Amino acid sequence: MIPIEYETQRLGLRFFLVMLVLFFFQTVFGLMLATQHVDPTLLAGILNFNVIRSQHTNLAVLWVLSGFIGTILFVGPLLSKRELAAPWLIKFLFYALIAVVIWNVITQVLAQQGIAGWWMGQPLLQEGLEYLEAGRIADVVILIGFGILCYVVLRTFPPRSQWNEIHWGLGLGVVALTAVWIFGMFFVERLDLSEYFRWYVVHYWVEGVWEVIHISLVGFLLVLMFKADVKSVGYAVFWGVSLVWLSGLLGNAHHYFWIGTPEFWQFWGALFSALEPVPLIFCFWHIYLDAHQDGKPLENTPAFSFLLGSVVLEQVGAGILGFTMTFALTNVWSHGTWVTVSHAHLALFGTFGMLGIAAAYYAIPLMRGVSNFDQRLGKLAFWLVFTGMLGLGFAFAIGGTVQVFVYRTLGLDWFGGDVAPAMHFAKVMVPVFGIVFAIGVLLLVYDLLTLGWRVPAEHDSAEIPAPSGWGRRLSSWETGLWLLAMWFFGGLITLGLLSFNLASVQQGNPTLPYVLGGIGYPGLLLTTLLFVWRFLRSLDARRYVRAEPLAAASSLAGAA
Amino acid sequence: MSCAPGQPCAEGMKRRRAMAVLGVMAILFVALSVASFIDSRGQVVPSDVKYANFDAVEGKRVFQSYNCMGCHTIVGNGGYFGPDLTKLYGKVGPAWLEAFLPSAGSWPTKGAVKLQLQNEAVAADAGVADIEAYLEKYPAANERIARRGGHATAMPNLPLTRSEVGRLIAFLKYTSEMNTEGWPPTPKVDGLTSPYAKPVPGAAQAAVSVTKEAVVASAKPVSAVAQGKMLAEENGCTACHATDRERLVGPGWGGIYGAEVQLADGSTVKRDDAYLTQSILDPDARVVAGFEPGVMPSFAEMLDVDQVAAIVAYIRSLEGK
Repeated sequence: MIPIEYETQRLGLRFFLVMLVLFFFQTVFGLMLATQHVDPTLLAGILNFNVIRSQHTNLAVLWVLSGFIGTILFVGPLLSKRELAAPWLIKFLFYALIAVVIWNVITQVLAQQGIAGWWMGQPLLQEGLEYLEAGRIADVVILIGFGILCYVVLRTFPPRSQWNEIHWGLGLGVVALTAVWIFGMFFVERLDLSEYFRWYVVHYWVEGVWEVIHISLVGFLLVLMFKADVKSVGYAVFWGVSLVWLSGLLGNAHHYFWIGTPEFWQFWGALFSALEPVPLIFCFWHIYLDAHQDGKPLENTPAFSFLLGSVVLEQVGAGILGFTMTFALTNVWSHGTWVTVSHAHLALFGTFGMLGIAAAYYAIPLMRGVSNFDQRLGKLAFWLVFTGMLGLGFAFAIGGTVQVFVYRTLGLDWFGGDVAPAMHFAKVMVPVFGIVFAIGVLLLVYDLLTLGWRVPAEHDSAEIPAPSGWGRRLSSWETGLWLLAMWFFGGLITLGLLSFNLASVQQGNPTLPYVLGGIGYPGLLLTTLLFVWRFLRSLDARRYVRAEPLAAASSLAGAA
Repeated sequence: MSCAPGQPCAEGMKRRRAMAVLGVMAILFVALSVASFIDSRGQVVPSDVKYANFDAVEGKRVFQSYNCMGCHTIVGNGGYFGPDLTKLYGKVGPAWLEAFLPSAGSWPTKGAVKLQLQNEAVAADAGVADIEAYLEKYPAANERIARRGGHATAMPNLPLTRSEVGRLIAFLKYTSEMNTEGWPPTPKVDGLTSPYAKPVPGAAQAAVSVTKEAVVASAKPVSAVAQGKMLAEENGCTACHATDRERLVGPGWGGIYGAEVQLADGSTVKRDDAYLTQSILDPDARVVAGFEPGVMPSFAEMLDVDQVAAIVAYIRSLEGK
């Protein structure tokens, strides 16, 4: 474990703690939404679905950003080899963040009374646009906050001539984060134009800016965890960032298929967003390479588990599930249904949420000076959160497939009478997996908040798996096969969505899309689960190598 | 580092090349965007759409103020809790929306939609003034009345004012006229015949209502209270008025008969036969404090003297629970 080198790195801690608190409340709101989906009358008129949903999505954005800020503050001094510039601004940023969170939670409730606080044509209090529900006052405070972050990061970094690719990635990331936000700060009269600009913020944040910050931070965390070579990580970061922007810039077009913009977007959107998984495959491959470049055992399993989860769910949720619905002929069916919800949960929480948690698991023990913490709770929390989220993705996808058939193919639009009853099984699965997820969240929030305050365990009593069978070394060949299996199931899902175009399905026979979705989704998610299990077990087994080198050497020889 | 360690590197050139490709793509993106919003494309814009006297731009503000998108989707984006609203206006027409929006907690009945058609502006926008012609022109409104009319919805009542309702309908008229490139896809099969469709009323119920009308027509003596109850349900009164004390959109009817109540102008009035009759025929004349004028429509053209008396008798019979 490396000690904290710079005092201002510790400023990241408070942002990690805020992240955990917001994550907890976001999960609670998510559970409430799931319950209302099962019984729509619950809390109706007291706390309406749309208000809870805006809390759920806004807190998601805010805690992911808190995690980013915490991580950037933690790695900033290490990247710059000096203390952060203007620490008092960071402290101000922290209080501004808390103020804006509380303000926004309160103002969202006003939607129930239809109060938006219109002034000079702008909604000051809340504006009822998906993901950008915050009103103009909060928008301005957030913009100032981003400005502060940019200032601190750029002032802390060394002169530009000394920047490596990680500096470039983070520097461009925080500037673009601020620039793109501005497009969401105007009331637009036309619905097509207002949706057009809304996706500037949502898409370019997620697939432009956040992705770039994600790649850079994953790269640097790998450098820290595995002492990977900065140059080879920089190489991956360069190509990752380039590919993200080259595919993502025009890839935004996949949001412009049906919002009232012309048909030609269907061509450009399908072409470029089909390329969007390429940088994600690249990132996926690099976490494999970097984790295997030396055979040293893992020091901090929870941190690496969440980092691996982040990259794998990015591949599965953003890459594969995103790919399945990126073509006009599949998107025309999936658009506006639960099929997209499955993609959104796996991609957003998976990629960005898990990165924040991974960074917190890495940084908090260092900042609290805990050299040997009990990792069992963190590991358990990881598996609960990971399986819970895969289960949620499964429930949403199955519900979505039924919804496409009932709502789009049959044209039944009575949600309470026809559509919701058809989706009932899936709707019940959501809170079931939601509870699994929520227990994981409770554990990890408790674990991270109290880490260092509890007496560490005498020794890790978990048995160390033998480096054979599921614990044997993960070869690049095998990793490729796992990835291929995931894409095979992704292909089935794509075919399932395509099959809604067939005349037989349109005449009312759902067998083909149900069978393809029924194999594709569970196949993909189970493969993902097993792959992560296999990956982590092989890393766990490295400690066995250290404990019993002779036995390990002979078994390795056997495996070879 | 744009090259693997140890290999010959042309760092600057690679970076410049990547930037050049990105620049070309940005130019392409901007060009496509400009082409998307030029006037000659013929896409409808909200400032050109009016419904009655209401403006679709103002309607978009109402749509955002209530965060409608948090439960519904519009052009497919938003919550997935309720149905997509993009093409709703074209399917159900203005009268159904006028009947639905002020009391969204309950599905409009045929009488409630018919009442809205009495309004000339609504009828003019719908293009038909007669309820039967309306239901023929808007089959989705007919389907909703037949299968859901009078039942509770999964949507809460919202405190929409009269003008907010009009603006929202103007906005939905605008979105309905938008060219969305064929989305959502048109179903090729009648979903109502599928096992997924909830088999409510249908033919069997229609027969019942015929016999019910026949009973009324045969002039069998029915108590005024029973007739008033039936009329209140048929005309959609109970979508806004609970039969106990609960406030839905308007005041609950339970126990209000004979009670003193304060009006918006500060004076008090006793809710007697005369007051209730006036409130049904001319609702804005004496509005109770705390309620918006203009929300309740006048039933003067819908109900005759005897029918109003029957409803008043029914209200009189209700005790507050």
